[in-house]
Amino acid sequence: MGIKVKVTDLHKAYGDNEVLKGINLEVQENEVVVMIGPSGSGKSTFLRTLNKLENPTTGSIAIDGIDLTAKETNLNKVRENIGMVFQHFNLFPHLTVLENVTLAPVELGKISKEEAKTLGMQLLAQVGLADKADAKPTQLSGGQKQRVAIARALAMKPSIMLFDEPTSALDPEMVGEVLKVMRDLAQEGMTMIVVTHEMGFAKQVADRVVFFADGYIREEGTPEEVFGNPQDPRAKDFLNKVLNV
Amino acid sequence: MMKKHTWLKYSWLMVTMLFGMIIFNTTTAQADTKEPHYVIATDTTYAPFEFQGQNGQYVGIDMDMLRAIAKKEHFTYKLVPIAFNSGAQGVLSGQFDAIIAGMTITPEREQVYDFGTPYYKTGIIAAVSPKSNITDLKQLRGKTVALKTGTGSAQYALSIQKKYGFKVTYFNDSNTMYNAVALGNAAAAFEDDPVMKYAIKNGVKLKIITQPANGGEYGFAVKKGQNKELLAKFNAGYAAIKKDGTYDKIVAKYLGSNESKFAGSAKENDSILGLLKQNKDQFISGVIKTLQLTVFGIIFATIFGVLIGVLAVVPNKFAYGLSSTIIYIFRGLPLLVLAFFIYIGLPSLTGTKIPAIVAGLITLTLNEGAYIAAFVAGGLKNVDAGQMEAARSLGLPYWKAMRKIIMPQGIKLMIPSFVNQFIITLKDTSILSAIGIIELTQTGTVIISRNMQGFRVWFIVALMYLIIITLLTFLAKWVDKKFSSN
Ligand SMILES: Nc1ncnc2c1ncn2[C@@H]1O[C@H](COP(=O)(O)OP(=O)(O)OP(=O)(O)O)[C@@H](O)[C@H]1O
Ligand SMILES: [Mg+2]
Repeated sequence: MGIKVKVTDLHKAYGDNEVLKGINLEVQENEVVVMIGPSGSGKSTFLRTLNKLENPTTGSIAIDGIDLTAKETNLNKVRENIGMVFQHFNLFPHLTVLENVTLAPVELGKISKEEAKTLGMQLLAQVGLADKADAKPTQLSGGQKQRVAIARALAMKPSIMLFDEPTSALDPEMVGEVLKVMRDLAQEGMTMIVVTHEMGFAKQVADRVVFFADGYIREEGTPEEVFGNPQDPRAKDFLNKVLNV
Repeated sequence: MMKKHTWLKYSWLMVTMLFGMIIFNTTTAQADTKEPHYVIATDTTYAPFEFQGQNGQYVGIDMDMLRAIAKKEHFTYKLVPIAFNSGAQGVLSGQFDAIIAGMTITPEREQVYDFGTPYYKTGIIAAVSPKSNITDLKQLRGKTVALKTGTGSAQYALSIQKKYGFKVTYFNDSNTMYNAVALGNAAAAFEDDPVMKYAIKNGVKLKIITQPANGGEYGFAVKKGQNKELLAKFNAGYAAIKKDGTYDKIVAKYLGSNESKFAGSAKENDSILGLLKQNKDQFISGVIKTLQLTVFGIIFATIFGVLIGVLAVVPNKFAYGLSSTIIYIFRGLPLLVLAFFIYIGLPSLTGTKIPAIVAGLITLTLNEGAYIAAFVAGGLKNVDAGQMEAARSLGLPYWKAMRKIIMPQGIKLMIPSFVNQFIITLKDTSILSAIGIIELTQTGTVIISRNMQGFRVWFIVALMYLIIITLLTFLAKWVDKKFSSN
């Protein structure tokens, strides 16, 4: 239907180091966009500007039509609508699994404690961790942690989810359980932007694959197009390396 | 940011008011009488002129005289016993209206003080340990002589230092100075004739080796050009008690050969239990003062320290600058300097008197608070940056994220530092004895100045500190457990 994310000529520099050199991207509602590219090409930086964890140097970002770079925009409100999942989970270690999930909606007055508990248990069940509700994050495996982190983000009922290499810090045997949760989300129609090196996931789930290099989007298309017939020499080179290990 | 700033100012105001309300209940007693009321400083231990009697009240020639004069001249006063130097400076800074502390009238002092009628003629004598074979000042060459800071005797000793070639060392109260000589750490001490004689009469093991020299006179002092009315009243009252024989009676009471006697009973002094029983009230009040200072000091320092520590991690340059400046200054200043600055220096700038205990609490708040701020800032910075990012990405505002996510984790890391700082705070309260707060350490000094039982009294004081520290550590461990369990 509508356009969820519209990024126009986005630049980001750390001092003299320009990391994003003019990014343009539109993401439609229900679309799943997978971002790939070599290390240091600016994928994380880009993702983090989308909820203003990172301030862009110039350019504009609109989420659901709201301009994030406008002064009067209430960033907290915008962020409520954007779930984010981090490579290193970033669960709150002093809280139980259930509290991790329910903290934000309760603190922000979205729902009562009782409702939050019901919602939290429902989300934990959805990611297959209902039995871990009272555990502390340190008692969980990496895959379990990441699934809790996804449930935590979902508790705010976001309409967009950002994933920054959600499986890179996991042991191989745990990657599947996290990807399954993400696949389910995509099937339910969640708008998702995912940075990942899981090419299988990209091929199966992505509506579009975006290739980053040197601060630019070098290649963009359906998985078939990008994986099957890349045009950009850097993309060819990169895909050669990751697909033929 | 502006808003936060006013909020900080507001809470600081609250804290200052709290100090006043909770701890202070002593100064308003005279509020509704018509008689003029003054704040008068005296030395904490300068027998026979001023020292604490067994019931805790200050007695001595100066004290009895002042009481008699006040009665005759119809004024009331609040007595502030404080180290001599601090008291003398406090008069100049406006903290006190006057000082009576066996203060020798000298030309230098007359530049800045107005003295009342000289009330006591004195001379300076030197004494050595009875075991010493020194019989003449000439034998002091190359040896160390003990002096009391800021006194006329010290000045006299310095004036003859070249001639006799001795080195000097300084003490803040007479008793410690005597002990230095008795224990052989110094070869001799110079002191005013009546003071030294009274001490010897009361059991201090010293031997006088000189005739009174450089005769001086003691005077009651106000700041030059100030408190003229009080000075006139003193002079009139002094003339009256001199005439009716009260003055002579007072002097005889402390220096007359048969009336002067040891303030405590010798038998009770022999045992630690006896000493404890005999000085029970004083020890209790000393412990209470120390506890008050410690507990309120810890509370205020924690509030202040956490606020300043959090400011150091807020992403705002001004807040960071403010916080690190405050930490730099108050962690850098020695506690004693800060205490003197607040108690004596600040009133001379602002013209408002600060009660010693408030000055003491402000000192502890700033100094201990700066240390707390430093480790709070460090602790908060040690919380993984991903925690703040995760919290913000959920839509939590900065301060909510700080309170709910960062602080609970940071504080857990800080608990050992807090326990440590609380123990340091307790120990640091003893430094505040220098501005005249009669807490546990000063209580020890005061009791010893009367009974000369240095070792036993310090033993009791040390034991009391250890007991308090043990209790405090238990409390901290209990709190820690409560914290970690939830
Ligand atoms: N906070 C920062 N300050 C300065 N430079 C930064 C900062 N964050 C990232 N960079 C730089 O920006 C560039 C892009 O980093 P980014 O993390 O976006 O890359 P990436 O594509 O996500 O790489 P990877 O696949 O390794 O995660 C790198 O050169 C990095 O050094
Ligand atoms: Mg990255």
